[in-house]
Amino acid sequence: MMSVAFICADSPAASIELVGLGNMLAAETHCLAFTPADAEALNDCGANSVVLLEGAERPIEGNAVGIAALLKERLADLFLVGATAQGRDLAARVAAYLDCAMASDVSSVDIAGDGVVVTRNLYGGTVVEEVALPFPAVLTVPAGVGEPASGEAPVEAVAVEWDNRVELVDEQPIQKTGINLKEATVVLGVGMGFKQKDDLALAEEVAEAMGAGIGCSRALVEERHWLAPEQYIGLSGLSITPDLYIAVGISGQVQHVAGIRGAKVIAAINADTNAPIFNAADYAIIGDLYEVLPQLAKAVRAL
Amino acid sequence: MPIAVACYKWVLDEDEIRIGNDLSVDLEKAHGKISLFDRSAIEAATRLAESHAEFTPVALTYGTDDTEKSLKDALSRGLEVGYWVTSPDAAESDGRATAKALAAAIARIDDVALVFCAEGASDTYARQVGPRLGVELGWPLVTSVLSFEVDGDSVVATRKLEDTVQTVRVKCPAVICVLQEGFEPRAAGLKAIMAANKKPKEHIELADLGVDAAGLSKRVALKGFSMERKHIVIAEEDVGLAARELAGALRKEGVL
Repeated sequence: MMSVAFICADSPAASIELVGLGNMLAAETHCLAFTPADAEALNDCGANSVVLLEGAERPIEGNAVGIAALLKERLADLFLVGATAQGRDLAARVAAYLDCAMASDVSSVDIAGDGVVVTRNLYGGTVVEEVALPFPAVLTVPAGVGEPASGEAPVEAVAVEWDNRVELVDEQPIQKTGINLKEATVVLGVGMGFKQKDDLALAEEVAEAMGAGIGCSRALVEERHWLAPEQYIGLSGLSITPDLYIAVGISGQVQHVAGIRGAKVIAAINADTNAPIFNAADYAIIGDLYEVLPQLAKAVRAL
Repeated sequence: MPIAVACYKWVLDEDEIRIGNDLSVDLEKAHGKISLFDRSAIEAATRLAESHAEFTPVALTYGTDDTEKSLKDALSRGLEVGYWVTSPDAAESDGRATAKALAAAIARIDDVALVFCAEGASDTYARQVGPRLGVELGWPLVTSVLSFEVDGDSVVATRKLEDTVQTVRVKCPAVICVLQEGFEPRAAGLKAIMAANKKPKEHIELADLGVDAAGLSKRVALKGFSMERKHIVIAEEDVGLAARELAGALRKEGVL
């Protein structure tokens, strides 16, 4: 099968993973770059070539029309795109311009005849769907699915059409707290079981004793505004893969559990015997977090 | 009178899906609901009509005949007209086919200035239909919208991406995909629910729009996600003892 894959991601690090996946699936892999600096950073990405898109501008989704034309001309069978906000948007536009099938946030990809079979999660991750897509196919791929590739990749420059209908007026970096739960080995998640913001001090004490990062359910960010958006774990927030996740005062709706499935061990503390979080937990204490947390901090310190 | 269309999907309630011990998936007992995220698209259209009275907010959904049940809920959330497009094959639709169906229906509605979608549906969470719809309509589109203002014949929108916040300007007609974060949906009041019964509804058959309902992507298999967990309940009366047992167990697991 002499198939051709094209790769596109927000960052060189993400692109390199997708090149690795592309190399496993296709005979030829080409990696897109939006800026000369990105093209330079991709010079050892292991693709057959790095295609520098000349005339590419921001928002990057405006390049979809030009990218679709390029993919058509190069007879691309697969377009693998990093699953970020911009990537998903760009990918869906390219799929629409190519009038082809697309699968989003795939967890695995295999070649099957003149197409691919992918797996992806449905219903907040409770159900896994296997889907067959004919070539050409567009896939968005989250971090971690592909293994980083390496190997010299020559750069070629290609002029692309730019869709100027969405005008970028301003762009500012998001001021972040520096909390990066994706890299934490222990995460303590807090939920609506906390009655007041000040009570989070109880969780902070345990987190400090464990060396844990603090995450939360969606409501604490979007309804109560107690924590930063980068602390929200769940389907439309973070997916984390720590060694240990401790859910405290979190009921455990499907959308939250979707973000913690990758944790090695899950413990839950909740007063409600019927809280769905217990179905997802390895260890459970059914009890009042206001009583349990101070004792837990003490117990952890005594280890 | 410009029209603001809020698109939504009638999905199965994920909390009612049963996974068997053999990981078989039982969808039969699950009831329908308006996709969680799509309620924010409805909220965006409703808010627009509240702040700009010239806009009429309407509902648009595509599905099987069953979707008719969704209209009352959609119309009780502030929308004024319910358009529902049906096809017996809608269950086998994919993002491509759904976007084509919605685009064809929107083309039939006069004076559409804005189309609101959510990020994605709460069943598939594929996040395809909004962008595809923009391309199918030939209209500009903006995703990840946290807030927006209508300014004459343009929309100025704030987009929240992973690392940056963008302000963009786009001319109507346009497709706007909103984030749940910026458009927390309201609960429908009793009065609104009563009023919803009297609002006009229009049924459109997909076949009449000349659109092929078949999806290009085909489901091969569906099974429950297996998450092997130990389910050990530490049932000590003494909270201090329970906490010590938990800490000890986690240490033994090598995760603490």
